[in-house]
Amino acid sequence: MKAVFTFSLMTLRMLFRRRTIWGILLVILLALAAIASVPSFDVSNQGRFILDFGLFGIELGALLLALGLAANLYPRDKETRTLMPLIAVPLSRWQYLLGRFFGAALVQAAALLVTCLGLMLILLFHKLPIPGDLLPATVLIIVEGWFLLSTVFFFSFSTSPPLNWPLTTMLFVVSQMSVVEFVNILPSAPGLMRAVRMLLPHADVFHIKDPIAHGFEIEPVYFFIAIFYGLCYSAFMLSLALAVFRGRDLK
Amino acid sequence: MADTHPIQVVNLRKHFPRKRGLGSVKAISDISFNVEQGEIVGFIGHNGAGKTTTIKCILGLLKPSEGRITLWGNSPAESKVRNKIGYVPENPDYDDSFSPMEYLSMFADMRGLSGMGSDWLKLLKRVGLSKWETTGIRQFSKGMRQRLSLALALQSNPELLIMDEPTGGLDPIARKEFREIIIEENKRGASIFLSSHILSDVETICDRAVILAGGKLMAEGSMAQLLGEENLYRITVLSRKTGEEIEETIPEADLQSRIDHLRRDNLQITRVEMALKSLEDVFIDATAGDSK
Repeated sequence: MKAVFTFSLMTLRMLFRRRTIWGILLVILLALAAIASVPSFDVSNQGRFILDFGLFGIELGALLLALGLAANLYPRDKETRTLMPLIAVPLSRWQYLLGRFFGAALVQAAALLVTCLGLMLILLFHKLPIPGDLLPATVLIIVEGWFLLSTVFFFSFSTSPPLNWPLTTMLFVVSQMSVVEFVNILPSAPGLMRAVRMLLPHADVFHIKDPIAHGFEIEPVYFFIAIFYGLCYSAFMLSLALAVFRGRDLK
Repeated sequence: MADTHPIQVVNLRKHFPRKRGLGSVKAISDISFNVEQGEIVGFIGHNGAGKTTTIKCILGLLKPSEGRITLWGNSPAESKVRNKIGYVPENPDYDDSFSPMEYLSMFADMRGLSGMGSDWLKLLKRVGLSKWETTGIRQFSKGMRQRLSLALALQSNPELLIMDEPTGGLDPIARKEFREIIIEENKRGASIFLSSHILSDVETICDRAVILAGGKLMAEGSMAQLLGEENLYRITVLSRKTGEEIEETIPEADLQSRIDHLRRDNLQITRVEMALKSLEDVFIDATAGDSK
């Protein structure tokens, strides 16, 4: 595992040295600032408004970070031939995949924590209370971000980069839909649609922005189950990605 | 008895599917050869002859369509085998936000090597990058990237060095330095598998050569076998019609009878000299009619 750890750190350093991460982070923070600057008609609702849209902004940031950081990692390694010296000798394919994933996941988590900090500063600026569940909510979004990252990895090994963005975004949208909403897409085959929806990821488990915005408490056990679900689904997507990568000829 | 060949390629075939499923393109057609312990084997062929494809199959980057490749009797995918290999890829490239020292220390960690920073400085000095150890790779020329590639390949003191066009695009001095390092590594005990376009390099440093054309093995043997153990002679005669010199190369065994024959025909022999066959001659003969 030392090789995976070293390669993760190498990936982390590489991503921090590229401009992409800073650009995406700036966009998310500016979006949060824009949300906070929208005047609310009711002062008592302002905190709820900022929290609701702020957490939604961080969630969209997770998607943007997953795509911006990882969609081009493997194709770029292949195109610039930096992949060959790595895969030929020091790393196995699974070590390459995990190293790249963990490096990108750490960068993504750090960026999302920074955006959470930005949201806290905005709340403080408006002299609004910071809910205790804001940090756990961000942790859930980070886990959702890792699931999205693993999806991006899967598509980057199985499709071309231009297809990665729409496919991941589509899965992101579908994963937010409830079973009823999904069945309504094709009401003539409810059984099939229900079965398909069960197989597809349920990203709605990571969303606790409404309860937080309305001041409801979340049971700790819920966090653990949601995190466990997210990690299991990420591992599943990475296994699929590895299966595709192992079968690939590296021309 | 355990197979001790550093590389053994048996009936290797590799074909790539065409786009839209329209059949496949044959890249390698049934080639077999070995690299013995401690020898330097040159791997030569035209562009597109299948050299890089074969090397990538040996390294496990491509899956053979048919045939078997073993490194010391094991699959190329096994980590105990990979730890014994150094690889210099064709046109190597590296993430240009790092420096050579960063690359060497990261590769050392990934390989589980115990070397220190001072070891890597010595290594960079050996490959001619001593003044560039902390410079970002983005500032490196092609030749400097090749030098870094060589340093990374030598880092683990490999038992087998696989080099794909390592001196392509290098200036003559750098080529000489690369050749010297290859010979030093061989003296240390490493087996070398060297793919190259530069036939004079192969002729100078290799014990054996494998010649490939159109994905087929055209010739294989020691340098003495390929260049001919039998001495050849070049006879120059004057043409009676045009007065021009005409050259003819013949084996030593036929020399006297040929001279007698030319004298009987009253042809004026202007020169008789030993003809030295070069690897280029062998290569052209072996690949004649298959330049693709």
